[in-house]
Amino acid sequence: MSALLEVDSVTKRFGGLRAVDGASLHVDEGELLGLIGPNGSGKTTLLNLLSGHMRADAGHVRLDGREVLGLDPARLTRLGVLRMFQLTRVFARVSAFDNLVVCGLALGLDERRASMRAIELLEELQLAHVMHLDAGQLSGGQKKLLEFGMCFMVPPRLALLDEPFAAVHPVMKETMAAFIRRRNTGGQTFVLVSHDMPVVVELCPRAVCMNAGKVLAEGPTQQVLRDPSVIEAYLGEHAADEVDHA
Amino acid sequence: MKLPSHRNFLRRKLGEEMLLSLVVLAALALVPLFVSSPYWLGVLIVSMYFAMLSVGWNLLAGYAGQFSLAPAAFAMLGGYTTGLLAWHWSVPLAIGLPMSIVVPGLIGLVLGRIVLRLSGPYLALTTLSFAEIARLVVYNSIDFTRGDQGLNVPALVDSRVANYYLFLVALAAATLLVYAMLRAPIGRFLMAIRDDEVGAASRGVNVVRAKTIAFFVSCGICGFAGGLYGTFAQLVSPELGLIAQTGIVIAMVVIGGIGTLVGPLIGAVLVYVASEMLRDVGNVQMIVFALLVIVFARFFREGLWGLARNAFARRAPAASAPPSPAGQA
Repeated sequence: MSALLEVDSVTKRFGGLRAVDGASLHVDEGELLGLIGPNGSGKTTLLNLLSGHMRADAGHVRLDGREVLGLDPARLTRLGVLRMFQLTRVFARVSAFDNLVVCGLALGLDERRASMRAIELLEELQLAHVMHLDAGQLSGGQKKLLEFGMCFMVPPRLALLDEPFAAVHPVMKETMAAFIRRRNTGGQTFVLVSHDMPVVVELCPRAVCMNAGKVLAEGPTQQVLRDPSVIEAYLGEHAADEVDHA
Repeated sequence: MKLPSHRNFLRRKLGEEMLLSLVVLAALALVPLFVSSPYWLGVLIVSMYFAMLSVGWNLLAGYAGQFSLAPAAFAMLGGYTTGLLAWHWSVPLAIGLPMSIVVPGLIGLVLGRIVLRLSGPYLALTTLSFAEIARLVVYNSIDFTRGDQGLNVPALVDSRVANYYLFLVALAAATLLVYAMLRAPIGRFLMAIRDDEVGAASRGVNVVRAKTIAFFVSCGICGFAGGLYGTFAQLVSPELGLIAQTGIVIAMVVIGGIGTLVGPLIGAVLVYVASEMLRDVGNVQMIVFALLVIVFARFFREGLWGLARNAFARRAPAASAPPSPAGQA
């Protein structure tokens, strides 16, 4: 597989704090990469840099070999880098259906195609029964599912998912996991940030662990989770045993 | 794949509101058949002037979430554009009136770019500052604008009834323009920006372009209202741009229903006509409207239109029941 995304020595400082400190990694075409690490390790900040929501102080990010660091979020989205946020971002005062349609229109679909695609996604994500409700009226889990769907109105080149399973009902979590599995089997590339280790182990063949803004370990997920530095910084002995038995 | 008949909730909602707006406009069209008093026709003309400002401001604040405090200033700029062109260069109204759309629209476009990254109180304060600067420049440029003496503007039509229908047509055109915008992709983009600007950009919405268009159209509508008002009153003065005028516009939109098509029409006509009825009791009218704004902002955020819609939904629950997902496709 060739690298779709290359992150090279990216650094982001907040005053004296290096939130991302010379991080380098790559995401291959069609890969489902797990990005793990303790709270404050720089995962979300790295996603913010990759999706254009923050400007890096140094480094390079290449998408298909093209430098994309510093592009604004809308531009990156149109290049196919879609982002799901840890804190849900939906358009509260328009219907769930129209939330999806907006995303399709913004990415160049015409009204009819956007409407049809929205309905397909609503049915696949089991949200068809609430499509008429304003997004602000949906439950937390439904909002997560909706935002998840908003990333797939047009198949992205790269989907950056930040804690998609956090505070989501197990049934909805499985709906989302099955969706990711299906799309990844079809060649869709993902970066998945999650603290849910069993799901990361199940979905992601490869993982990168960050700590204190640096890449601590990367490789096959099971191998990363057994890495002594990852166990010390993130998992602890007990959790590592649990993952071993998963 | 066949689309469900109820597929487009936003368009359906907009269609219902537009239909009601047409009912309100049709009712206004019938008024001169029953009201012959020039005074009350004049009151309704001014209420339609405010309705145009409300429609313009509602596009920006209600649909795009850009809380500008300058709609009256743009009306003043529109009025002065037409007036100055006629006064200094004898430009006919056929050119002067369209210019009352173009010039304020372009100024609004520039202002929109300046305030692009501002929101909430910062946006409000910046537009308020712009409005006061514009008014003071007009007020103090005595050689050019005649300052507080005001500027004479030629009349477009002579009779009060003709003026009445002129304003009605202009109001209908402004409402249809906003309706057409909201039905188009740009309308959805503006609502997305209103609800979550960062989220909208993250979904690929060109926020800069959408906001710029909203500022241009909104300020153009307000400018045209001002230009038309100048031809009716045959005078424009810096008082058109007073912040109190903007306050009245905001009150009208909030009371009628912010972020709805029909709310600003209902709000503007009711508030202005009621204020004329309360004129005899002095400044109490402004206290009444201020209290009404507080009550609506606190308890009835969807305004009079929201109250009416909710009452209708309660009486006809079957009609508003959610569609069944089964058999949609």
